[in-house]
Amino acid sequence: MSTLVQQLVNGLTVGSLYALMALGLTMVYGVLRVLHIAHAGVFTLGAYAGLWAFRGSGSFWAALLAAMAAAVLLGLAMERWVYRPLLAKPPIATLIASIGVFIGLEELYRIVAGPQPHGFEVPLALPALRAGGVLVTAPQLLVALVTGVLLAGLWLLLARTELGLAIRAASQDAEVATACGMNTRRVVALTFGVGSALAGAGGMLVGVFYNSVSPTMGSVTAYKGLAIIVLGGLGSVPGTVAGGLIVGVVETLVISLVEFPLPRDAWAFLAMIAVFLARPQGLFSAR
Amino acid sequence: MTLLEVTGLTKRYAGLTALDRVSFAVSEAEILGLFGPNGAGKTTCFHCLSGFAVPDGGRVVFDGRDVTGWPPHRLAQAGIARTFQIVRPFRNLTVLDNVLVALGHRRYERLGALLGTWRGREPRRRALGILERVGLAAEADRMAGLLPLGMLKRLEVARALALAPRLLLLDEPFGGLAAEETAALAALVADLRAQGLTVVLVEHQMRVAMALVDRVVVLDHGALIAAGPPDAVRGDARVVEAYLGTDAVARGH
Amino acid sequence: MYVYTVATLLGIYCILTLGLNTITGIAGQISLGHAAFLGIGAYTAAILTVRHAWDFWPALLAAVAVTAAAGALVGAAAIRVREDFLAITTMGVNFVVVAVFLYFPFFGGAFGIGGIPAPSWPGGSLGKPGLFLLVLAGVLLALGVNLWLLRSWVGLALLATREDEDAARAAGVNVRRFKIVAFTVGTALAGLAGSFYAHFLTFISPEDFGFAFSITILCMLVFGGIGTNRGAILGAGVLGVLPELFRPLADYRMLTYGAILLLMMRWAPHGLLGDESALWRALARRRGAP
Repeated sequence: MSTLVQQLVNGLTVGSLYALMALGLTMVYGVLRVLHIAHAGVFTLGAYAGLWAFRGSGSFWAALLAAMAAAVLLGLAMERWVYRPLLAKPPIATLIASIGVFIGLEELYRIVAGPQPHGFEVPLALPALRAGGVLVTAPQLLVALVTGVLLAGLWLLLARTELGLAIRAASQDAEVATACGMNTRRVVALTFGVGSALAGAGGMLVGVFYNSVSPTMGSVTAYKGLAIIVLGGLGSVPGTVAGGLIVGVVETLVISLVEFPLPRDAWAFLAMIAVFLARPQGLFSAR
Repeated sequence: MTLLEVTGLTKRYAGLTALDRVSFAVSEAEILGLFGPNGAGKTTCFHCLSGFAVPDGGRVVFDGRDVTGWPPHRLAQAGIARTFQIVRPFRNLTVLDNVLVALGHRRYERLGALLGTWRGREPRRRALGILERVGLAAEADRMAGLLPLGMLKRLEVARALALAPRLLLLDEPFGGLAAEETAALAALVADLRAQGLTVVLVEHQMRVAMALVDRVVVLDHGALIAAGPPDAVRGDARVVEAYLGTDAVARGH
Repeated sequence: MYVYTVATLLGIYCILTLGLNTITGIAGQISLGHAAFLGIGAYTAAILTVRHAWDFWPALLAAVAVTAAAGALVGAAAIRVREDFLAITTMGVNFVVVAVFLYFPFFGGAFGIGGIPAPSWPGGSLGKPGLFLLVLAGVLLALGVNLWLLRSWVGLALLATREDEDAARAAGVNVRRFKIVAFTVGTALAGLAGSFYAHFLTFISPEDFGFAFSITILCMLVFGGIGTNRGAILGAGVLGVLPELFRPLADYRMLTYGAILLLMMRWAPHGLLGDESALWRALARRRGAP
């Protein structure tokens, strides 16, 4: 029983990291109807920026802020110079451009920081919790704390502010939102900003959690992110959080219980393909 | 003689009944108007007839054959052609090639599709003949994506005619057209009927449509509320109420 | 000899871009997993010739058939998922195929399969020039297949599918069948390239067929002009030979490809020689003028 609870805790931790990454994807899809593949590059930048800021300052929180800030800048730059000029083009053009940015960024990280993974050890002032046979490690507690704060912030932004309302309106119907006098350009930029901030934080947390930052750390996460937003009903924020947690838990449970001849990521890809085939419009979506 | 017979056609979307046991028939060489206020189920009905939606209940019998739930391409091959309300040309193909796609409808199911060519003189001659009928022959070699809306509406009709259909389903063909373009297209539709083609017309522009149709079927909230010649239906109390009711709601916004 | 090596490689690239052009350029079904099909063809040819001592030619046919069957399956998937979701599905297929090569001992694991014999002629083994000529014949075959397709009614149906699926269906085109046709033909060509690739390198391993290589092929096609066979050949030629001429470029290959994809989409979506590209239109005007 306690092992099951333990796996659940582990799965929820991984799942909340997936959710942080996937939220930007789903929000961008909501307002622009494009798959923002290059989001993985933003995620990885968050990890590197956090690592360098941590080495410079020694403060986890300063590093987290730096990670989010760097991610926001990159996200906004992409919105301005990649997506906005391509809006009128067919979706395939945007997708190809996005993939171009993504592989270019991965290569850039490899050139600048080297292909080898960097360790990212943060001395944590947090205790490890132990209850029954279940252990919640300090890094897990940190992940839970930070994601909790970020998700609460996101909820406040979306539910309680005018800009949040504008984002939700634009993801329902961009034309109507424009007609109602909302500045869609600003809304789109804001969406990229918020989504990128979350991904930046997610990237850094993944770096800390696995004690490893590498140029290609975004690829697999991005792919899972894509599947998660399909699961969660494209464009839906709560659906994406739920989708992220479900994927994290299921993945952890299945892998701890069954032995497969293939590595877990390959199975993740297979599962994702099954998701796309089973329900192209999202599992929780009414549409 | 009855060409199309619709019995008890029903379609539901996520708990909402878009079409509720609708029945009507279309005789050969008549123009039937399929009317109703917004959201009445005209489009759903249209989709069920053209294969773009699969009905949940009821039967569609075309020329003595049960064609319920057939996919669009089979209906097109069987002689039911449709146009799109929002024009959907193959933008990066020429006007002529747009028509050729539909002209090939009999070949796509056979191995001969690999042997014959669509670039020959004979297919071009036939496609040009169809373009001539809709008055687009002069534009044959232009890219379809470059045509103005009025021409694209006629291209929709040309593509439908290339299927050599027995039944033509027109989805708001006059929407967005200038007065003289509308008149020309209406004359074309009347002409096609005179040549023996059967037409089902969904249209919002009542003045043009009422002058064109032989018979009218009116839907409201997914149910058939009236059927008959235009003059009789025009005075029908339920029809007036359906239209006025939605008008009043529209004005209230 | 070096010239033959580069030329053979360029030929293999050409077959790949022509095959991808059938799927993505002509039928409009984006595929980000083309290298996986190259891999399926290469592994089929390698396993049959190395372990089962098949002759080169029957193994070549088997490689084409197996790859085409795999392609038909993915084509069937394209019926349910469209556009960008098809793109990420094919990307996933690429990862899964590489993982299978890597983790199943049957495929030789990380070491792959070595000792693949050189192709033989009835008179004896083909040398490097012979292999090059064979690949060249393969390029001509791939080009011929695409030209034949485009000339036939099947090609018109594929073009219509690319332009607008619903309008194509309303015009009597069985869109599902033609998507499968496009994937089958395009991947069969990748299988052909795979057999050549295996016998050319004599040694293959899983990472040869990764997502990065799929992107490389797509990049070549986009660069030359997606949708046209001349663009496919030009793209494969130029981007294939550049890393050989400028070594630094080879080190920053993916960065270059990423930049090309972005810049082409931004300023020249029709590539260098696409039907609507500035260069091709200028050429067409000059030909039309006199």
